[in-house]
Amino acid sequence: MSFAERFVEADGFRIRYMEAGQGTPLVHLHGAGGLRLNPAHELLARHFRVIAFEMPGFGTSPENARTRSMPELASTMGVAIKNLGVDVFDLMGTSFGGKTALWLALQAPERVRALVLEAPAAIRQDGAESPSGTPEEIARRLYAHPEKLGAIPLPDPATRAKTQPLVQRLRGPNRDAELERRLTDLATPTLVLFGTLDAVIAPAMGRVYKDLMPNAHLVFVYDAGHVISTERPEAFTEVVVDFLERREAFVISRAHTVIHP
Amino acid sequence: MKVSFFETGRYSPPEALPAEWPVPSGVYDRDAGARAYHGMIERLEYIEELGFDWVSVSEHHYSPRILTPSPIVSAAFLAAHLKKITIALLGPIVPHSNPVRVAEELAMLDTLAKGRLVVGLLRGTTNEALTYDLNPAEARERTDEGMELILKAWTEPQPFGWQGRHFQYRTVSIWPRPLQEPHPPTFALGTSRESCEFAARHHLGCGVSYGPFEVMAKATRYYREQCARYGWEPKPEQIVYRANMLVADTDEDAHALLDKQPKGAPFAMRAALRDAFMTADPRNIAGEVRAPNVGGGALPTTFIGSPDTVVEQVRHAREVIGAGVIDLSLHPPGSSDLDPLMRALELFGKKVLPRIRDI
Repeated sequence: MSFAERFVEADGFRIRYMEAGQGTPLVHLHGAGGLRLNPAHELLARHFRVIAFEMPGFGTSPENARTRSMPELASTMGVAIKNLGVDVFDLMGTSFGGKTALWLALQAPERVRALVLEAPAAIRQDGAESPSGTPEEIARRLYAHPEKLGAIPLPDPATRAKTQPLVQRLRGPNRDAELERRLTDLATPTLVLFGTLDAVIAPAMGRVYKDLMPNAHLVFVYDAGHVISTERPEAFTEVVVDFLERREAFVISRAHTVIHP
Repeated sequence: MKVSFFETGRYSPPEALPAEWPVPSGVYDRDAGARAYHGMIERLEYIEELGFDWVSVSEHHYSPRILTPSPIVSAAFLAAHLKKITIALLGPIVPHSNPVRVAEELAMLDTLAKGRLVVGLLRGTTNEALTYDLNPAEARERTDEGMELILKAWTEPQPFGWQGRHFQYRTVSIWPRPLQEPHPPTFALGTSRESCEFAARHHLGCGVSYGPFEVMAKATRYYREQCARYGWEPKPEQIVYRANMLVADTDEDAHALLDKQPKGAPFAMRAALRDAFMTADPRNIAGEVRAPNVGGGALPTTFIGSPDTVVEQVRHAREVIGAGVIDLSLHPPGSSDLDPLMRALELFGKKVLPRIRDI
C-alpha cells in the first residue's frame, strides 16, 4: 500500500496530506512531533481511505504563527477535510492531535462518525511535561522499547524549534476546564487507547475520558509506550478497525477458538 | 522474622504409588484424599496456636505430592476454618490461567478472609507447562503480561479493554475489588531477572525458594538494586524465602533424618521429557543462565540441625538473603508420614520460633 502525497488549501494554509486506501474516510491528526507514517497507517489503509494530515506549522510546512488556539486549528482542519470533498468521516488523533480531534468533533459532531484517540494529550496528569532533550532522550520518552524499533524516526531539531512555539501555544493547560465541560455532551463513539508503558501521558488519564464522555471506551495496549501505533501496530490496528467497523459492538468477541473442525 | 508454614495437603496412600509424573489418576484413593484435606485443618489450628504468621498454599498438578491443583479453593477452605492466620496464596500459575478470573477470585478471597490474604504470582515449575499444554517458550512472556493484567484489573476503576500479546479482553471491570487497598500484599515469585524487574517496577515483593542462601541472595540483591532504580526500598517482609527445614533435638539427629530421606525428587518426569525441557525452558538467576529444575534430585534442605543451629541459620538467611519471611516445609512435602512432621512442628514452635521473632 503506497501513500500518495497531496495538498489541500484551507484558511490560507497549503496543507500537505498522505492518502491511501478505499472506503470510509479515516482522517488522522498527528502528535506534536508531526506526521510520520508508521506501519499502522499501512494496515489501516487496507480497510479505510486513510487521510493523514500534516497540520499547518508542522513538518515541511512553513512556521505557523497565525493559529492562536486548539479550537482554531481544529476548525482549519475541518475546512481542509471539507475541501477534499469529505463531509462525514472517522477521526483519529494522536497525543496533541487527540486534542485537536476532540475540538473538531465538538465543533462538527454531525460530521465525525467515530473518534479514535491514541494516547490523547487533552487531559494530562499534574506535572506532565512534553518530551525534550536530545533526539535519543525524546525517543526514550516516546517509546517503551526504542531498542526494538531499529531505525527510529528521531525528531529533527530544526523542525522541533519551528513547531515548539505553536505546540506550546495550543496545547493548553493539563486540565482544560472548558474542554472537559463540553466533553460531557459529546456522544460520538470514542475509543481511547493508552500504552501500559506511556511515559508522556499517564495511562491513568484514560479513565477521565470514560468519566466525562457518555460513549467512550478505554483500551490498554500492553507493553507499548506513547506511540502505540509504532510500537505495536498490529495490536493497535486490530482494535481500531474492529471499533470503527462495529462501534460499541466491538466488545463482542469474534475470535475463533475452534482448533480442529 | 515472620514465619510461614507451607501446607501441601498430606496425602497418605494406602499402597505404594507409581514414581513417575504425571501419576495416573486411577490410583488415587478417594478416602485418603478426603482425609488429606480435612487433616489440614487440625494441623493448621495447631500451627496458628504455635504463632505462625502465615500458612501458604501453592498450585501443583497431576500428583499427590502437593495435593492442591487449585490454590484458590484451598485458600478459601482454610480462610473459612482459621480465624487469625494470614493466608498466603503462593500462588496461581499465571501463564496457564485466565488473569481476569485470577484477579476476581483473589479479590473475592481477600474479602472473604477479611483482608488476611497475601498473594504470590509465578510462572510455575517446569512440569506444569505440561498440565494445560502451555508452550514453555512462551511461559515467561505470558507470566509478565498476566501479572500486569491482574494488577490492572484490581486497580483500574473504569471498565477497560486489554490489547495484549497473549491475552485480549474488550471489557474488564471486576467485582468485588480486593478488601485491602489497593490490593493484597503481592509478590513476584522467582529468581529470574525478569521476575525481579517486574516486582521492582510494580513495587511488589520478591519470593525465592529452596536454593542455598548465597544463590538466592544473588536474586534478592538484584531485586533490591532494581527497586533502587525505581526509587524505592523494599521492606524486609517483602522478601520471602521458601525452604525445607529439618529440625531435631541435636544436629546429629537432624542429619541422620536427612540421610534417610530419598535423594531423588518424588514423581519425576521421564528422562526424554527432562531432556526436552532442558532446551525448551530457559531459566536464570538474576540473569545467570541455569538449567531448569528437571534433574530429578530432591530439593535442598537449607535449614538443618538442632534448635540452636537452626536459629543461627535463620539469622544467617536474614543477613544474606535479606528475607523477612521464611516459608517452611518442616518435612519434605512428599512425605505422608505425619508423626515426624508433628514432632518437628512442636520442636520448632517451642524452641525456634520464639527466638527468631526478633531477627
